Amino acid sequence: MELINNDDGTWTLSKVSELEHLMLSRLPESADSTGCEEAGNRLFPSPISPEADFDNEKKSSADSDWKEYIEPELRVEFRDSLKIVADDLGKAQMAKDEEVNCYEFNIPTAHADYWCSALNQARIVIHYRYNLPDEDGVLDMDPNPEKWMATLQSEIYGMLMEFLIKKVLWVA
Amino acid sequence: MLIEESNVEIETSPVAEVEVLDQVTQPWQVMILNDPVNLMSFVTLILRRIFGYSEEKATDLMLKVHSEGSAIVWTGEREKAELYVQQLQTHQLYAVMEPID
Repeated sequence: MELINNDDGTWTLSKVSELEHLMLSRLPESADSTGCEEAGNRLFPSPISPEADFDNEKKSSADSDWKEYIEPELRVEFRDSLKIVADDLGKAQMAKDEEVNCYEFNIPTAHADYWCSALNQARIVIHYRYNLPDEDGVLDMDPNPEKWMATLQSEIYGMLMEFLIKKVLWVA
Repeated sequence: MLIEESNVEIETSPVAEVEVLDQVTQPWQVMILNDPVNLMSFVTLILRRIFGYSEEKATDLMLKVHSEGSAIVWTGEREKAELYVQQLQTHQLYAVMEPID
């Protein structure tokens, strides 16, 4: 996978292997926290610190206001990012890299933040849904193939996030 | 204590007045809690963007979150603290706030 600057306000993600493309195509559904309470709690946490010296009534009121007014805004932001990324992904085209099938597609610079949001949402949900280990870069051959694939998926998303942060967003 | 206003006398409790004053003036701190998913570079980037911190300060705060489990990233009035927590949560950082005694 390579991220190339087209110098026209877009980047091309090229040499995307079939496996990487498969993982990326799962991004929108992987970011859905439905059915995973821990992931939902992590994506939409209480605004009040768990260690705060704050009485229960005040905390409950703050949480309730947050759920009513802020959480819906967060949900819209998260959903919009996923939709933009799904649209970009839908434009992926087949290509060849040394006779091996691969994919490539454009990411407008203006979409880089949406991509990071979508990739990060998915990484959070995957982590809690599959109870992945906390250590970075652990890709042990887990006896559970589904969990091993989830780890690989999260690593690929993390790698693409690093590309986008270092090459696109850090200098913007 | 009695307050006269348009011939209407309203009785207020001194305790209630102190509580309201406390709520307005009491400073709050915005904290980021460590989580096992967010990339270090991403946390640093978001701290630079939202608070305008230098790369060095943002990196120091990110490392504090990573090594100590949390870091106070901003202190000030509650309303602004809420805005910052929302902005940080928009980027999926594990951001919370608490009043300072």
